Order: sequence, then structure tokens, then C-alpha cells
Amino acid sequence: MDDGANGGDEMKGKVAVIMFPGSNCEEETARACRAAGLSADILRWNTREDLSSYDGFVLPGGWSYEDRIRAGVIASKDSIMKTVKEESIKGKPVLGTCNGAQVLIETGMIPGVKDELQMALAANINPFISGYYCTWTSLSVCSTKCAFTSGMKDGDVMKVPIAHGEGRFTTKEDGLVKKLEESGQVVLKYCSSDGKISDEFPTNPNGSVNAIAGICNPEGNVLAMMPHPERAAWNRQVPGLEAKPFKEMSAPGPGSPMFSSMADYIEKEGKKWR
Amino acid sequence: MNNQVNKELIVGISQMSDDELKEYMKKNGISLSLDEIKLVPKKIGRDPTLTELHIFNTEWSEHCSYKSSRNLLKLLPTTGPTVIQGPKEDAGIIHLASVNGERYGVVMAHESHNHPSQVVPYEGAATGVGGIIRDVLCMGAKVVAIADSLRFGDPFGKFKNRCRYISNAVVDGIAGYGNPVGIPNLAGEIYFNSSFDDNCLVNVVSLGIVKESEIIHSEAPKGAEGYDIVIVGKATDNSGFGGAAFASLILDEEDSEQNKGAVQVPDPFLKNVLIRATQAVFDEVRKNKINVGFKDMGAGGIMCSSSELCDSGGYGADIDLDKVHTSMNIPPYVIACSETQERFTWIVPPEFTKRVLEIYNDEFELPNVAEGAKASVIGKVTKDKSYVMRHGGKVVCNAPVNEITSGIIYDREYKEPQKKFTEPDIPKTSDYRVAILKVLSHPDVASRMKVFKHYDTEVQGNAVIRPGEADAGVMAPIDGHPAGVALSTDSNPRYARIDPYWGAVTAVAEAMRNVAAVGATPYGMTDCLNYSNPEDPESFWTFRQGIKGLVDSASNLWLKGHKDTPVPFVSGNVSFYNYSATGKSVDPSAGIACVGILDDYGKAITMKIKKSGSGLYLLGERKDELGGSVFYEINGQLGANVPKVDFVKERGMIYSVIDMIGNGHALSCHDISDGGIASCVSEMILGGEADGKTGAEISMDAFGNGLRDDKALFSESTGFVLEIPKENETEAIKICKNNGVELVKIGKTGGSALKITKSGKTVADVPIDDLRKSWTTGLTEAMK
Repeated sequence: MDDGANGGDEMKGKVAVIMFPGSNCEEETARACRAAGLSADILRWNTREDLSSYDGFVLPGGWSYEDRIRAGVIASKDSIMKTVKEESIKGKPVLGTCNGAQVLIETGMIPGVKDELQMALAANINPFISGYYCTWTSLSVCSTKCAFTSGMKDGDVMKVPIAHGEGRFTTKEDGLVKKLEESGQVVLKYCSSDGKISDEFPTNPNGSVNAIAGICNPEGNVLAMMPHPERAAWNRQVPGLEAKPFKEMSAPGPGSPMFSSMADYIEKEGKKWR
Repeated sequence: MNNQVNKELIVGISQMSDDELKEYMKKNGISLSLDEIKLVPKKIGRDPTLTELHIFNTEWSEHCSYKSSRNLLKLLPTTGPTVIQGPKEDAGIIHLASVNGERYGVVMAHESHNHPSQVVPYEGAATGVGGIIRDVLCMGAKVVAIADSLRFGDPFGKFKNRCRYISNAVVDGIAGYGNPVGIPNLAGEIYFNSSFDDNCLVNVVSLGIVKESEIIHSEAPKGAEGYDIVIVGKATDNSGFGGAAFASLILDEEDSEQNKGAVQVPDPFLKNVLIRATQAVFDEVRKNKINVGFKDMGAGGIMCSSSELCDSGGYGADIDLDKVHTSMNIPPYVIACSETQERFTWIVPPEFTKRVLEIYNDEFELPNVAEGAKASVIGKVTKDKSYVMRHGGKVVCNAPVNEITSGIIYDREYKEPQKKFTEPDIPKTSDYRVAILKVLSHPDVASRMKVFKHYDTEVQGNAVIRPGEADAGVMAPIDGHPAGVALSTDSNPRYARIDPYWGAVTAVAEAMRNVAAVGATPYGMTDCLNYSNPEDPESFWTFRQGIKGLVDSASNLWLKGHKDTPVPFVSGNVSFYNYSATGKSVDPSAGIACVGILDDYGKAITMKIKKSGSGLYLLGERKDELGGSVFYEINGQLGANVPKVDFVKERGMIYSVIDMIGNGHALSCHDISDGGIASCVSEMILGGEADGKTGAEISMDAFGNGLRDDKALFSESTGFVLEIPKENETEAIKICKNNGVELVKIGKTGGSALKITKSGKTVADVPIDDLRKSWTTGLTEAMK
């Protein structure tokens, strides 16, 4: 079995996938964590579990609290996020994908230069389909200082899909994007399949500033990304890789290094908080 | 406790004159016929209460009772070696695979939501998706896919603005519901024509996965006397009251405001949480081996759901409507029959009730997720086979439960209409480049990506082939197991307009061809039958012809490896009255969804040409069958000669394609349908994403079959085109020969254009960029 249940002693750590009312990617996200050698529990927003016993956290995609007011904003005020933030200060990795990224932006944890809201994920600008857009994109790794790209190289290209209506990174703060680029906080950018970064549609699917797809905090342990690496964790999920033997189809896919980087990071840095 | 209905509630309908009766029904929104309402006292042994009248009004609607269709539906083949459960509950179940001795099934359901989508398109389509998801979930399954089959009015015709508004809003409604709930879209198709101007069709399919040992049934289990009846979900309101009856009426523009009230209000956010909470209840049911019954609340609301649950277990029910959580002050018959969305009914042993309430109300906090939502105990299962409802301390209903659920039945009259269809005399095409591009940009042919990319195709992480990449979508639903599920939906409205029998036959054959084209073996089907007025003999004749076509096609296209064994229908739906007050009927539409199974999804292939230098091969000779074709339509004609299916050859083709793909001989495959071989090969060049770079050259000398050039290129006779590399040619030809069909080489892949030759001369040479432009703009233009 390629993506079975939580394993035993050989696990590199224990992470919690936090589900809000309206999350819808919690199961496949937990599955991708497990495949990378982590044990993963799906916890509800109102859980009574002790979060400090976990080595890392993932906020999955979906429509937390129905995207009321603004995507991610209500979940960001949920008391569980206060605990996640406290745990992240210990150095524990926190990944937010899609709606999870929207939550992290709303908490101010991303970009996290100041302890306040500095960025937004705004409505897509897309000449083909307005509103919700689901497609496969290519991502270029622009920084490896992040816990989730630590096992990759600058310029690595991975095919990962997006699915959102509000994924355009933007800010009103002059010079912020430049500062993030310089400090290595811009971790992922949309690119062509051969790695050329472009601001133009369709390479940049949502009009995001500088084609940014993912931003981490200054310490590198918290990452907000709009694409879904858990939907590219196995080869079978990737379009175009068809008519291949099952063994090859069920092998780790282009999104899996993000989860294995997280596992390795926990293994290496875990002594900080254990 | 007193079970007698309170005398003052009884309506003396047997004392009323016909005129008084009509007046009374009109005043109270009862849509039964005079004969039908007079039947009610005979069924229950006295005059009814208003609540009882509303109950029979709902139960005897076409939507709930299938009163015009039930006798004919019996003719469909519904059993066979692939069937775990046929059509008796909300969804059927097909055998998928055995894993470690455990049998897994694909749960499959198919439903229409036509009238609501015409009146309030966004909400109508969204609630259609919501309803079909409930049908699959309530079998104890994990819901893993949805698909939709859409028919819209003419986007360039007299009502183009309304048609475009409806098509966009329906697509938004499907996305707006399916995406947040987190069910991936796996397949679907769209047709446009003026027969759908006043009645769009929105048919939805959903699939689920369940272990055979963990199926939950829609019936009160053995020994259920004294069990609790628990309803869960949204607070009951008056939305969708009369929805079932509304679905069985003709649409009249003048009633549009009133009709809007019969449409339910969707809440995908609540549904998302309800599904997850329900899965948690399933887990406890399984872990502790608790006997339960579970059913979706759809048409007929609490009344329909609870009466059917209890009756199918051989019990009655005693329900206190005051215990139903409601969000407004509504009369008892509205509480009983309203079709408020996002609700389910459980039958559980009393010792488990507390835990059920805890999971929904505390752990998943339903009351905080949506105002007034929760799980409530509303009554008990009784040994006595009567269906009792109480309200305000009074008994408002006490009727034999089997009289409520058994419905009524009609043998409708039928008469063949005297319609003549003729073949047109079309001038010879002077420029095939122009003709091909025109066909490719036709809204029925053009790339569907503008719609498909509005849907989440990736959520759950099981997609292998997405909508538009091939003739069928493919997914890998079992973690770590190679079994694949393919799904396709089909029905060509123009063929059925000319000939409702052959239209239905080809819908079945095409649905099977489509799953075969990815390498899957057709295992089972569902049908969603959209027809006009069953009370009109000519309309009813088209329905009978449709059923006959389905029966013949399914029975003759045998399950692969099982001689004389039909591919079964495991579930289905009938939607009548798809005509408007102006008398316009929709094209007869027997929508078919086919599930195919792959032993190894790794072997599945798409339609896109993979490399230069492969051979292109044809299965299925071209015939003078352009009746209802896209080519005739772009010439302003309908024609008469619709594609017919030679069952022996069709079987041979389907089996050959499955074997060739299963043995890895073919690199790509596409079924020939709308636009004929010309659009088939063009789409293979472009691929689903329209990013193809490898062209093709085909020779009419190989497939012309003595036909006029235009007919050979655009005939929609059944068939396939396959890309086969040279080294596999001999084996592939042998496979086809063994299946009694001929594999004909028609050309090769390569170049950067679609080149068509005849006797050494070029008939057309169309650069890929031109193909791309026409194919990718057609739908965008139609939905602007």
C-alpha cells in the first residue's frame, strides 16, 4: 500500500491536519504527510487534544467558515489558530495550502515581517474564466530556506495543481514584495513547464504579483501556498503520465518533496521543541 | 396513546361536487386529478385530513411514484454478475474489485433537476448536485465523484440572452455546490439547441465507494420496533414545499414567481460538515456493529423518507411534528412534506441515539455551523403498520404506511406521430478547411475546458484522467490499489428528435464506447430519462421507443466475457413534463451514465496523440448516416438517416478496444461522435488541454467507403480512431479479427497540421493553430 495509515516507531514525527467547518482537503493532505514518513491526525477546530504534542501543523484547502466576510478570515480568529501561532514560534513547521494559505495570511503569520496583516489573497485576474479556476500549473522553487523546500534545489520545477477563486498575492505596502524576494521569503513562483517564470496568463494563472505562488515567514518554518502539493503527491495524479506500470503510477509525485522536506526538517530540528 | 385522527381535521371530500373539489384543490395547492383525489378515501377508509391529502399529493406525483413509467421501467435489465445492488434504493451498486477478500462496490445514482434549473438556475443546479450526493452517501458510501449532463437552449437563437444566462448560472451552481463540498467532477457533456429554450435539462450523476459488508440500507433494520427516528440537518422551512409536484407540472412563464418558491435553497457549507459528521456516525455504526437505517431526505421530505424507511422494514411510524426543528412557523403538512435541503433520516436503536446526537450537535457543532441546524429525535418505529403524525397535540395523519408508499400506476396511451424526415441535398463543400473549422467551433463539439476548469477536478486526490482529456474520466478510488473507475455520460438530442428508438440505442452504445476508449470495461449504467407529457399519446410513444432502445442496446451489447448477459442498469430517474406552456417539447433525452472498470488504472489512455510516426487506425466503417449530425446542422439541415448500431459489430469494436488498450497496443483512442472522423482526429491532435503539437495525415482512400467526401469526413456512424505504433500493428489487427471486426489503417501521426488526402491529392491541410483557435473559442462564444 503506498499511502496507508499511520505507521509505528519509524515515523519522523507527528503532525496535525487542522480541519475547520468547510475544509475539504483534510484527508488527502493527511495521506500525503503519512506517505512522507509522518504520522498525521485530522483534528477538528474544536478539538480538546493538546496541540503542543504535535511536531507540525497543516491547514488544508477548502472553504473554512464558508469564506464568510473574506476567505480565511474567520478561521484566522479561531482560538485554535492562537495555539498554532504559539507552537510555530517554537520552530515547528506550519503549512497552509489554498484556503490554509488564506488563513495564514489573515493571521499575519505570513509574511510575518511585522505582527500584523500585510498582504492579501485577492480575487484572481484571469482572462479565460472569472472566479473559481482549477488547473495544473508548474512551480519554480525560488528559495530553499523554507522548511518545505529544504530538500529541493533553487530552480527545481514541480507540476502542482491550483483550485481557487482568490489566490492573487497582493499588498498595499510599498517595497514589501521586493523585501520578501531579497530575504528569500518568496518560495514558489508560477513558471512554464521548462521553468521560465512569467507574469502572464496562462503561466501565472491568477495575476499574482511577480507570479508568486508561495511565501514563507522570515524564519522559514511557516509557508502559505495557493497550489495543492497533496494533489501531486503521487505520479498517478499528474496528467500526461498515463499508461505506466502501476508501480510507477503509485510512486511519489512532484508535490511529495514538500512533505518529505517537512518530515526531514522535523527530524532534524525536533530537538528544539521536544 | 390515541392514534385516531381528530375529527375536526377531516375534510369531507366525498361530500363535495366535482366543482367544489376542484376549487378546494386549487385553494390548497393540491395537483392531483379528480380521479386521483377520489381514490384517497378508498385507500384509507375515510375522508382524509389536509395533511393526508398533501401526503398523497406528493406520493402520487410522477416524481415520487413513477406512475406513468414504472410498468415500462420493469423491462430494463437490472441484474448480472457485476451487480451488488440493483435499482431499489436511492442508488445502485456495481462490483469494483476485491481487496484482501473484501468486495468493494461503486455506488451510482443519476437524477434530473430540470424545472428548478430553468426557473432559478444557480440554486436549481446546485440543489441537483446536493440531492445526488445525498443519494450516494446514504448507502454508507464515501462520495467520490460527480458528473453532469447539461442541455441548454440555442445560444444564437431568439431567446439567446436567457439561454446564455441559464447556461452560465447552471455551471456556476454546479461549481458553487460541488467545489465547496469537496466532490471532484469526473465527466459530463453539454448540448445546445432550441428545443431546450424553455426547458433546460440538468442531469447529475454521483459515484461513491463502499465495502459490500459496510453498505447501509434505506430500511428499518430487523427488530426495529421502538427504534428512534432521528432527522439531521438544516432546520425545516417551507422551501421546496410542493417540489415533487412541481417537477411533475409543465412550466409556464406566467407562474414563474410562484414556481420559484418550489425550488429548494442549497447550503453546500452545511452539507460539507454534515457529510463529515455522517462519516463519523458510519464509523461508530461499523465499529460497534449497530443495526440502523439511513435515508436521504429529498422529494416529499420527512414524510417520504420516514414512511419508506419504516415500510420497507415492515413497520409503521409514530412521528411528532412538534419535535422537528423548524426555522419558521409552518403548518403540519408543510413540516411533513417540505423539501428543505441538507437533511437525512436515521433509524437507530435508542441506546445509540445519544451518541448520534452528540456527534452531530456537539462534536461537529451543527447548530453553530448553520442557524437552526441539528439532529432531533422526532418519533418511533412502530410494529403497527400505520403511519401516524401528530401536531399540536392532535393526530393529523393516520394511514396504512404501505398505502402511502405504494403509489398508483397508469398504462398510458401511445400513438406514433406522423412525422416525416428527409435527407437534404447539400451542395458539395468547396473548402474543407473552412468546413472542418466550422464543425470544430460548433458549441456541441468545441472544447469544454471553459466549463470543466470551473469545477474542482482534483479534490480528494484520486483523479487519473480528467473531464475533457479523454472520452471518459478515470479515477483511482482505493488507496494503494490499481483498480480504476471510468465514467461517461451520453445522449445525442438530435438523433432522438429524428428517431427516439435509435437515439436511445446510440446513447447506450456511445456511453459504453466512451469508457472503452480509455481501456475500461463497461460494468453498469444508470439512466436519466427526460421526456415530454406522458398524458399525450404521441409524447408517450417517444418514451416507449426510448425504453425499447435502452433495453435492446443494453441487452445486445453484452457484458464483456459474459455471452447473452446485458450490461445492467443499476439505478435511474424519469423526468416527464419537459415542455412549456407554448407547447414546445425538449428533444427526447435518454441520458446514460456508464461506469467502466479497469483492473489497472495505469493502463488507461487519453485521446491525445502521443508521438510522431504512429499509425492511425479506424474501427467502424463510415456510412451515409448524417441525420442529426453537426455537419447537417451547420448547413441548416436535420436529415433523416441517424447512426444505427449493428450490435454484433459494436460489441466486437468495444471488446477489441478494451483488449488493445489492456495489452498496451494503443497509445491514444477516441470515439467517433459529433463531427465525425474529422473532428475526432482534430481532437486527438489537440488533446484535452488543446496543447497538442503533433499533427496527423489521413487518407480518404482508406475510409471513404464510396461515400461523398463530405459524408465520409463528417458521418457520425459509430466507431473509434486509435493511435498504434508500428510494432503493435500485427497484434492489434489480430485482436480485432478475433472479435470479428476490421482494423483499418487510415494514416499516420506527424507534421503540424491535420492533412486529409484522397487519391494522392490534398483535400484539406489545416494547421494545428487553426484547429486550436476554432475548437477553443466555440463554447466561449456560446456562453458569453
